[in-house]
Amino acid sequence: MNPTTSPSASPAAAESPTSRPGPPHGAAHAWRVVWRITKLNFKARLEYRGEFLMGIAVGAIWQVSIVVFASVLLTRFPGLGGWSSSDVLLIASMRMLAHGLYVLFLGRVQYMNLLVQEGVVDPCLIRPMPVYRQIQLAFFPVNAIGDLVVAVGLFVAALQRSSHDWTAGRITYVVAGVLGGMLVEAALFTALAAAAFHFPATSYWSQWLEELMGTFGSYPLSILPKAASAAFTFIVPLAFIAYFPAGVLTGHGGAMGVPEALAVASPFIGLMAFVLSRLLWSWSLRRYTGVNG
Amino acid sequence: MPLSAVIEARGLSKVFQTTVRRPGLGGALRSLVSPRRVAKVAVQDVEFSVGKGELLALLGPNGAGKSTTIKMLTGILTPTSGEALVAGVVPHRDRERNAHNIGAVFGQRTQLWWDLPARESFAILRDIYGVPEGQYRARIEEFDGLLELSEFWDTRVRHLSLGQRVRCDLAASLLHDPPVVFLDEPTIGMDVVVKEQVRRFLRHQVEERDRTVLLTTHDMTEVERLAERVVLINHGRIVLDGSLHEIRRRFGGTWQVRATLADPADVEEIGRSEGTGGPVALPGFAGIGVLRREGPRVVFGPVGADSPSVHEALKVIIGRFRVADLALEENDLEDVMRAAYLSDVPAQEPAAASTSASASAPAPASQGG
Repeated sequence: MNPTTSPSASPAAAESPTSRPGPPHGAAHAWRVVWRITKLNFKARLEYRGEFLMGIAVGAIWQVSIVVFASVLLTRFPGLGGWSSSDVLLIASMRMLAHGLYVLFLGRVQYMNLLVQEGVVDPCLIRPMPVYRQIQLAFFPVNAIGDLVVAVGLFVAALQRSSHDWTAGRITYVVAGVLGGMLVEAALFTALAAAAFHFPATSYWSQWLEELMGTFGSYPLSILPKAASAAFTFIVPLAFIAYFPAGVLTGHGGAMGVPEALAVASPFIGLMAFVLSRLLWSWSLRRYTGVNG
Repeated sequence: MPLSAVIEARGLSKVFQTTVRRPGLGGALRSLVSPRRVAKVAVQDVEFSVGKGELLALLGPNGAGKSTTIKMLTGILTPTSGEALVAGVVPHRDRERNAHNIGAVFGQRTQLWWDLPARESFAILRDIYGVPEGQYRARIEEFDGLLELSEFWDTRVRHLSLGQRVRCDLAASLLHDPPVVFLDEPTIGMDVVVKEQVRRFLRHQVEERDRTVLLTTHDMTEVERLAERVVLINHGRIVLDGSLHEIRRRFGGTWQVRATLADPADVEEIGRSEGTGGPVALPGFAGIGVLRREGPRVVFGPVGADSPSVHEALKVIIGRFRVADLALEENDLEDVMRAAYLSDVPAQEPAAASTSASASAPAPASQGG
């Protein structure tokens, strides 16, 4: 049915939506709302002092295995798989930084199975704001503070130990690489969140994926058998999070098992992956059938 | 269909695909390899409309399809077939525009931010909907006056009682001044005092603010006090669309007016009209007959298909006879609804439902509970 041709609908249509003041538009309004909600969410978490501090501590402790690995690497070994210890440290720190930013800005998708079961999605569908944005604003991720504190520390250490010349181009690329890494991680978890609209068991996959990234995302993948390396490039593409960008920055571009152009394009591939995952999310949301009747 | 229909459901259907587990361990393993998918019809060919400033109660037993219907009308669910139109917008196709036109309260779930004080949730919603500050303040003041929110709106939502939380939800759903409001069991679990406060609030929104309200509830007192019209849904299909009186008439709702007549001439007149084969309609009294009589003490009751409501009958009886003493008896609406839910009445044809919707005059919701 075309609503505009419905004779009985036209009076109401004329009275209600068209005569009402139009909704506020524009990116500035959207950002103001996002900022305001984020501030309130942060304030809400601050109210529970113990929980807040525990959240930060958990975020930091979660990364302890990487820190221990980095310390051992720097003090005991000259390098790994042809990579110097400072270059490996750059992979680890870029991954951790990308992960921290993902947790801070886009990490709520990881709780999607719970949010669906708690019925949080239903009210999101009747508010004039994209559902994805509302999910990201569901709460403030205190653990991201811990993640980022450790990540920044490690990243500064990696830069200090680096023997490379940090030109403007390199700095720009490292920023793009970290953001691209954040988007790759967000894309993987957004794709899982799209499945969570229909299958609550995605939480197991989510835990497995996080474990996988924590374990293998910080090493040069060239030390792994070729099949594993290919799997981490083309099936679960965690090579694009930090390994490829760090390889480009440290001059390993031609020895990472893929054409150098593909490695250089990591930030762009991250963006594309994120866009695709959002399309998948929207497709899945259109088929959302609710919970509890 | 009312001319200024604001909510329209046209042949709405929703079919869910579910997996049926086979019994026993072997069956469960078989289901794992070859799941048996079945289509579960939650709502079928639902057709009704609600006019501007009208409050309609969507009634039915648990699992009848009420919430699914509301979710399709709010745009949360996409209908399998049929069409929903709310304030000129197809809800699931244009969710953001629809969101500005509707408010919704799902009594069992909050739409407020769980960890924030309710007042801060209101402020967030003000920003999301872009409500101008002046209008926002005026509405908050109005809602506080009606629902006494300021006593608890600085408390975090997770610490509010159910009644307090739903009152905040109600206010939140109306902050952007929507012309259409959907309420899915808004008073579930509330004490009687808060229920009455919420009912007053809803009546105010319909009568003073001219909002169109679609309400689902299991509380028959609420229906009697608020609903102008009811749509009865069962097994996903509309069984009846009409006034409360129509439901009473169709599902065994009955009444008796016991009167002691003061004028012997009236008693004589009634005696002349009495038959021997059960109650007959009194001449000139459409649908009212004498059930029993002992001298001047007469028991009037409904006769035939077009009997009036107890209030209409009372008006006729005291207008026609001189009455010395009077008592009313009416079936409780809950009994009537129980009969309606348990009955195997065939679903109303969509066309008939639509005709009934347009023909039924809104009945005043003035009965006491």
